[in-house]
Amino acid sequence: MELAEPIVRVLGFVKRYKKHVAVQGVDLEIKRGEIYGLIGPDGAGKSSLMKAIAGVLTYDEGAVEVFGTLIDSERAAEQVKQQLGFLPQGLGLNLYPDLSVEENIDFFARLRLVPEPALIERKARFLAMTRLDKFRNRAMKKLSGGMKQKLGLICTLIHEPELAILDEPTTGVDPVSRRDFWTILAELLRERGMTALVSTAYMDEAARFHRLSFLSSGKVVASGTPAEVQALVPGLMVTFEATPQMEAIARLKTQYKQVEALGSLLHVFTEETIHASAMQSITSSLGDIRPVHLRVDEPELEDVFVALLLRQADQPPSAEMPRVTALAANHGLAIEAKGLIRDFGAFRAVDRVSFQVKSGEIFGLLGANGAGKTTVIKMLNGLMPPTGGEGWVAGADMKTAGGAIKERIGYMSQAFSLYLDLTVEENIRLFAGIYGLNRPATTTRLEWILSMAGLKGYESSLTSRLPMGVRQRLALGCALVHQPRVLFLDEPTSGVDPIGRRHFWDILSVLAREEGVAIMVTTHYMSEAEHCDKLALMFAGRIVSEGSPSEMKRQVETEAGRLVELTVDRPAPAINELELAGFAGVALFGTKLHLLSHDPEGDEPRIREICAASQGVVQSIKTRPLSLEDVFVYRVMELEKQERKQTTGVAA
Amino acid sequence: MIVSGVPRSKRAAIWWGRLMVMTRKELIQLFRDVPIVVFLIYSFTLSVYISGNGLKSQLHNANISVYDADHSFSSRDLIHKFQPPFFSFAGELSSSNEGQYRLDRGTVSAVLDIPPRFHEQLAAGEPTAVQLLVDTTNSPQGLSAASYAARIVAQFGQEASLARFGGSAEASQNLPVIVSDHRVWYNPDQNETWFESISHLLRMITIFAMLLPATALVREKERGTIEQLLVSPLTPLLIMLPKVLAMTVVILCAMAVALFGVMQPIFGVPIRGNLVLLFSLTALFVFTTAGMGLFAATITKNQSQVGLLTLLLIAPMLMLSGVTSPMEAMPPWVQYLMTLSPLRYFIDVVYGILLKGNGLKELWGHVLAMGLLGGSLFGFGMWRFRRQFQ
Repeated sequence: MELAEPIVRVLGFVKRYKKHVAVQGVDLEIKRGEIYGLIGPDGAGKSSLMKAIAGVLTYDEGAVEVFGTLIDSERAAEQVKQQLGFLPQGLGLNLYPDLSVEENIDFFARLRLVPEPALIERKARFLAMTRLDKFRNRAMKKLSGGMKQKLGLICTLIHEPELAILDEPTTGVDPVSRRDFWTILAELLRERGMTALVSTAYMDEAARFHRLSFLSSGKVVASGTPAEVQALVPGLMVTFEATPQMEAIARLKTQYKQVEALGSLLHVFTEETIHASAMQSITSSLGDIRPVHLRVDEPELEDVFVALLLRQADQPPSAEMPRVTALAANHGLAIEAKGLIRDFGAFRAVDRVSFQVKSGEIFGLLGANGAGKTTVIKMLNGLMPPTGGEGWVAGADMKTAGGAIKERIGYMSQAFSLYLDLTVEENIRLFAGIYGLNRPATTTRLEWILSMAGLKGYESSLTSRLPMGVRQRLALGCALVHQPRVLFLDEPTSGVDPIGRRHFWDILSVLAREEGVAIMVTTHYMSEAEHCDKLALMFAGRIVSEGSPSEMKRQVETEAGRLVELTVDRPAPAINELELAGFAGVALFGTKLHLLSHDPEGDEPRIREICAASQGVVQSIKTRPLSLEDVFVYRVMELEKQERKQTTGVAA
Repeated sequence: MIVSGVPRSKRAAIWWGRLMVMTRKELIQLFRDVPIVVFLIYSFTLSVYISGNGLKSQLHNANISVYDADHSFSSRDLIHKFQPPFFSFAGELSSSNEGQYRLDRGTVSAVLDIPPRFHEQLAAGEPTAVQLLVDTTNSPQGLSAASYAARIVAQFGQEASLARFGGSAEASQNLPVIVSDHRVWYNPDQNETWFESISHLLRMITIFAMLLPATALVREKERGTIEQLLVSPLTPLLIMLPKVLAMTVVILCAMAVALFGVMQPIFGVPIRGNLVLLFSLTALFVFTTAGMGLFAATITKNQSQVGLLTLLLIAPMLMLSGVTSPMEAMPPWVQYLMTLSPLRYFIDVVYGILLKGNGLKELWGHVLAMGLLGGSLFGFGMWRFRRQFQ
């Protein structure tokens, strides 16, 4: 890595779409053998930059050099294309849905003139590595999101390009498949000596890269190794509980830019670098509210990015939540599901799911792609009749009072589902009309939504011209137009930048805490799941684990141990050895390794020994708090292991 | 819908309010779709004008060339009988081969070949013949060119023989002759622009009535906006009906523009019947046809699919319902099949009201048929709509 010459060099890159400047002056250099990351929200210019490097998009200013060839014409691009592999954005968009897994691979290999013996050898290896070998003959359209992306990766790498360009390969993929994808990518690249340029919208994936550039509105905000980027914003993350929460947040916000409510916990980023003084400054700004369970940690990369974004731009139009005479805060049950079942033909998508959500509670439903989350939500809001079981939503029986339920709930679907060709105000008025609001009520709610979502000044803009984050807030506003008592959100924040996401969650916690709205949400962002009061993890249609975020973490800690982070100079070979030695949750993050251990101090010598045996020197070893992603991955991996055991048991 | 404790009058007001906001939304969306608006305006103005003015099935200015091997008084006389507006003289040829060549190239549509000694034989009372070569690639045009030419030649022959027998045209009065005289009703000038512009208007109404609501519904599915409507208290009727309502309003306005902006002032198309009746029955027709389009929308996934499917439905409707050729000329099974085409009834309604001045007295059967068809198509569409999401 250190000796290598750069294989991609970008200087002063500018790309315009008509008048809109997508990328304005980006420089970057990619060295042989590294995984280079482009991180940034939607519309930051990642895709434009990647397409230009892949030679499929022209640019307006600057220079792009790939393998020493200046890409300035169609012909120059053709010269380097044989050495490139490009995976475009979107789940399986480059694949043919009606062809089988094997046919797709064969097609791409022959397109790239891979010799037949090499194809057979690589296909066997890649399929085994991605565990797709059981599904050789399955049509691509029948694969899950994570499997599609793995197949996309195989098809991109089948001709063994020197440089793989992967545009948001993990967007819309659940945490387990995501972790799997990264492991496979790292292994393939190392084994074949390839280089990769990868983009992502998940801030927590930044740690997977050797080096990265953080882009926002077409400019590089920060670049370097993850550690270098982290060092740009020195500071600490203070976590504690304080009641009343809303009042505590209001006080903290006068002093700190990053204040987040995660369930009952508060998360504050401070620029103090000494633990004791960080705690002290928090305590003093809270006044007479006493923080409890105070803890200080190193900030996550996501916190760093948010700090960088806040530093760079002015605050987004901060939304003052106008207080509304709260609906009679009724602290009864808002949603109750009892043994819900849904079959699609012979396939059971949802299997005896039961749970309860109280008014004013934020309930998170987690699970891999295809675990049945969306189906549960669709049954509860009346989009799909259940095959069996019972449910009550907002006091009405799902089976007999579908109409009454529809008047009392709000729903925001996975895909943006407002009218792009209507203006902001027209959309709000439309939904006000649909929910039967009269004229004065419409006017009051319109005002409320505009100020709640920070949409003042956008009233007459077409929805299609709004940035992603603003659109999502408008969608939330429209779902809230009739003051529903229950709110369903199906992956509401995919593609929204981290500041937009935090803003969105601020609104949700006010809704729950002050207006007593029950909120049920599904998400792939595990950092978001931390905001929920209660979580349920779904696997293969069943709820397999339930509790508050801290309860779920504690359960895993007692079962499997604490999270240990190792910095190893050659981490990859050690993974297998550590797994064989019985450690759970072994995962690679760039140059770091994570694993779970009951007794980190006691295990330390053993870990060092194993790493040394595979030529890795452990530079540091420390414990970290478990993240929900670790919990999620651990649980799902355990269940998959059990399932495999059962099926092999049956087969034997 | 179950709304407990809300008085009936308030529920009706809410229902009405929902219908209005949804219809308004459809109209806004339609008018923001610039290509569709341009296409709509063109279809009901310029395109009606062009079809009324340009589409001629009668023989008009057919190019005719002559190879005259006789160069006599009689041959020149015969050539002079081929006159505009039916024929236009495109010059003499130097050989009969050249006539063949010009037909092949398509520069003339008929070639008249007059043999040598034409005049001599005619004067001597010997039988003689001329040859007419006609390009019938476009068969109606070619066939009518041939039959006009045959009539011209026959008349020329008759005059020639009369001249030989009696010397004068008056003598023909003594010969037994049957005169076939006809009176043309409803369109006494036999003005083709009336027929053509009205049938074009019918075509446009059919296409838009089918396509606009269908694409509006499919677009909601494609963009995912339908989910937001399905979780709201809207019934399927309240999702589908506003689309039909909005498109009906638009199509009626477009028809008014075509009728009072192009057809009446420029072509002088008469409006002999009741205008209110015409517009109400057009609304009924649009509703019926829209039902068909909405059904197509419920079995397709995206706009290109629904576009192709409606094309499949519209093409036979337009070809076989009697706009292009008369119903009676078709095989019985097509006639039976076409009883399911609302256009079949609507054609009679429009020609009837505009040209014949018909009222409900003559048209009630057609109105009933359209109503029944529309009701069942719309009902079927609603049933499919509910089914497709389960």
